[in-house]
Amino acid sequence: MYRFLRLSVLLVGLIAAVGSVAVHAAQPLTTADDLGPVVDQPIEFPHDRHAGDAAKGGMQINCMYCHTYARRSNVAGIPPLQKCIGCHRSIESVRETPRIKKLFEYWEAKKPVPWKKVHDLPDFVRFNHERHIQRFVFAQEKPVQEACGYCHGDIKTMTVARRQKPLSMGWCVSCHQKDHPVSATSTKTTHGPNDCWQCHK
Amino acid sequence: MIENSFNRRDFLKVLGWGGATVALSGCGNTSVEDGREYVTSYVETADYIIPSIGTYFNSTCAQCDAGCGIMGRVREGRVLKLEGNPDSPINSGKMCGLGQAGVQAHYNPDRVREPLLRNGDKGEAITWEKALQLVNEKVASANPGSVAFLTGGVSGHVKVLLKNYLDAIGSDRHYVYEAVAPSVVRAANKKAYGVEMPRLRLDRAKVVVSFGADFLGTWVSPVHFSRQYAKFRKGVNGERGVLVQVESKMTITGANADRWLAIRPGTEGILALGLINALIAAGLTVPAEVAAAVKDYTLDRVSNDTGVSVEHIGKLTALLKDRSPSLVIAGGAAEGYAHGSQNAAAVALLNQVLGNVGKTVEAPASMPFPQMAPITGNRSSLQALNDSIAKDEVKVLFNCGANPVYSAPASMNMKESLKKVPFKVAFAHYMDETAMEADLVLPLNSSMEDWGTVVPEYFAEGAQLNIQQPLMEKLHPGTLGMGDVLLALLKQRRPAEYNGYEDYYAYLKNAMVAIKGALGGENEDDDVFWDSVLSQGVVKLTSSSNALVSSASAAGLQLPPPAAEDGTYPLRLIPAVTPNMRDGRHANEPWLQESPDPLTTIVWDSWVEMHPKTAAKLGVVEGDIVEVASKNGAIKGQVYVFSGIHPDVISVPLGYGHEAMGRYSKGVGANAFKILDPVFDQQTGELAMYETRVKVTKAGKRVIVVKDEGPAGGNQSGRRIALRMASGKVNLAEEV
Repeated sequence: MYRFLRLSVLLVGLIAAVGSVAVHAAQPLTTADDLGPVVDQPIEFPHDRHAGDAAKGGMQINCMYCHTYARRSNVAGIPPLQKCIGCHRSIESVRETPRIKKLFEYWEAKKPVPWKKVHDLPDFVRFNHERHIQRFVFAQEKPVQEACGYCHGDIKTMTVARRQKPLSMGWCVSCHQKDHPVSATSTKTTHGPNDCWQCHK
Repeated sequence: MIENSFNRRDFLKVLGWGGATVALSGCGNTSVEDGREYVTSYVETADYIIPSIGTYFNSTCAQCDAGCGIMGRVREGRVLKLEGNPDSPINSGKMCGLGQAGVQAHYNPDRVREPLLRNGDKGEAITWEKALQLVNEKVASANPGSVAFLTGGVSGHVKVLLKNYLDAIGSDRHYVYEAVAPSVVRAANKKAYGVEMPRLRLDRAKVVVSFGADFLGTWVSPVHFSRQYAKFRKGVNGERGVLVQVESKMTITGANADRWLAIRPGTEGILALGLINALIAAGLTVPAEVAAAVKDYTLDRVSNDTGVSVEHIGKLTALLKDRSPSLVIAGGAAEGYAHGSQNAAAVALLNQVLGNVGKTVEAPASMPFPQMAPITGNRSSLQALNDSIAKDEVKVLFNCGANPVYSAPASMNMKESLKKVPFKVAFAHYMDETAMEADLVLPLNSSMEDWGTVVPEYFAEGAQLNIQQPLMEKLHPGTLGMGDVLLALLKQRRPAEYNGYEDYYAYLKNAMVAIKGALGGENEDDDVFWDSVLSQGVVKLTSSSNALVSSASAAGLQLPPPAAEDGTYPLRLIPAVTPNMRDGRHANEPWLQESPDPLTTIVWDSWVEMHPKTAAKLGVVEGDIVEVASKNGAIKGQVYVFSGIHPDVISVPLGYGHEAMGRYSKGVGANAFKILDPVFDQQTGELAMYETRVKVTKAGKRVIVVKDEGPAGGNQSGRRIALRMASGKVNLAEEV
């Protein structure tokens, strides 16, 4: 009896749902120059101060000192708060600055800093940091900041990180098609894997 | 049984239109959430914890009482998947499907999250302080002897605390109830071997004859027996072990057997004695009194009584004669009758005359700390509680890990009976049928959030103590562990003794460290010992073996002839214990509902299993809804026609048909517990589960049975993978 009524209700619902997706998709996540959105972080973390060149007042800290999981795991990881405190406990000169005070407030409350994601991939893509770091930093002996910068841009000049590259499939593949030497000393070249299942599994 | 109001064709139409609309509007990259989603880091962390890489922690499976060691894969603070702990002698790194579903007990959306106090028909959320205060008041105002605990099987330090609490209030009413337990076999074993459950060495046997013991699926310690079974099949000196299963309804063990013998229900003991008689004829020497006792069990008579052909009895006799040692096991199908004890005793006698005692029936290890040894439950215990309630002797009833309102037969009328208890406290994971009747519901931690020790009922090797430790933080702040609650209650009663412990963890650590000498850590520092215990998950204890006697005798063996046919209720009901559902306590874990029953492949419903001949006689086909009526009630179910069942019986699985508990179990299938006839084993007083007589009548409707296999043996026949044979023509007893 109510078959047609039920059908139409379902159809209207579906169109409404799809429509809302369409509206959402109309707002592009990337800008024309491939910059990601500006992300407000709870603490405006100065990457330039930590990783920047000494000439510009930076400390030249290796990326992997804090993002220590990058060479061991799929994800680079946000460093645990204890890592920040480990150094800052003994850096008296900045102890009373607003950002560091806020950092210690989190530490004393034993609460993690609610960072927001800057680099994200769709759930159907598996990106592995470890493979890239092992290839570029350890096999080819590229400088760490250069290797990380292939995807993350020149982080050492930024405060809060902002996405620099499109991180789209075409962009990944454009690099995977390029030949590069297998190691620092070898003349043999290869390119990144181009099988679907390398990322979509 | 799906009500078809919106058919498949309509659904596909809508889906097609929907798909086109999506294609037109383009896909939004909606799963990318940079700038919106939080990425939470640790505040402090250990070196071994790497984001996106799992860390394994050892614990103990709480899905059944076998006590398998498990390892939980924990990633980013959440437990994702369970594996077996290779260091546990019980399961040697293996696990079963029921155990795998343990994560769904933990993440279950229907868990009780805060203490609830009855207010009319509703439960009102209250704080733990108020709840415990209320419990203390009620217990204090009641006569000490009228406070009772009803639990499932319990062991380890929680058992010690429970005993101490009952001692502190001056009550000895601890009732241990298990709906499905080999209680009669335990009693018969105690008589025959001096222990309730001897260590069965399947791996040493050359022939195993199982009288309805589903040791690969549901019986005692299935994962352990499966492992032993693999060794048995590999054989001693290359001689592959032969398994013969004797039962009226095929179990997963029966399906694995070399020969499956469909026996007339209740005549297992007759066959066992007949085998002894045949073995004597084949030259086996037995004591004179045994020979005298079995001399009437001639081949023809036994074949006539049991329905097993003379030829097969002869083959089985030859097998047992030629290949020694063998092992004969009595299981659920042998013990579930009014003369169940006699059946089990006859099977034990067969073991003894075959000379298996001491070879494949060994003495089990004894637990050096008897206060922690498991108490096993049975049904007569529930009967005792029910009788006390009827006499108004119980004023405060605590219930933990038992669900009698669901699993007691209708004749006991537990629901009405419980109404006579003025104050009922239920420790619960779900609002199950028994918790619904409670005045106060106290929500428990899941086994993956709780501390504890577990002593398995069946030791695979020596005695062992299993550790249960949290695999992750509590999901719901309002739940507490059973140990914590008992400790809080004990602090009121014996403050001097217990106030020193901040929580159950502190108590447990202290108690374990205090006996570290016996646990193999006498020279270790306390913390080093504790850490090693937690990392291993299993503590092996130095223990002696219980003495085993072989005192089975033919004296007093009284086997009744096969039961006469009942005109009104012509069929027997076998309430089947299935590997997924067991006694139904885990019915709310959807993986268990979703994974097909191993024999029928049916999902998400119960069924009425019958032989093709029976179905033909009743005029029903697969999918017909029938009413199964006993003297004590009736249930409805879909017919499933299956050759692996005796034509005189029908079978309905247990565990389905919950009236409460949660979204995945409520109203799914029918509850076969409810229609069981109150017939009891004459010696132990246990409910005889297989004695129910039923009649089956067509209830009109016909449905499509939702199952994995296709019609007539599934698509395999069409693809010529398996031979096509009409299911009515298959006689499994003849085939193998």
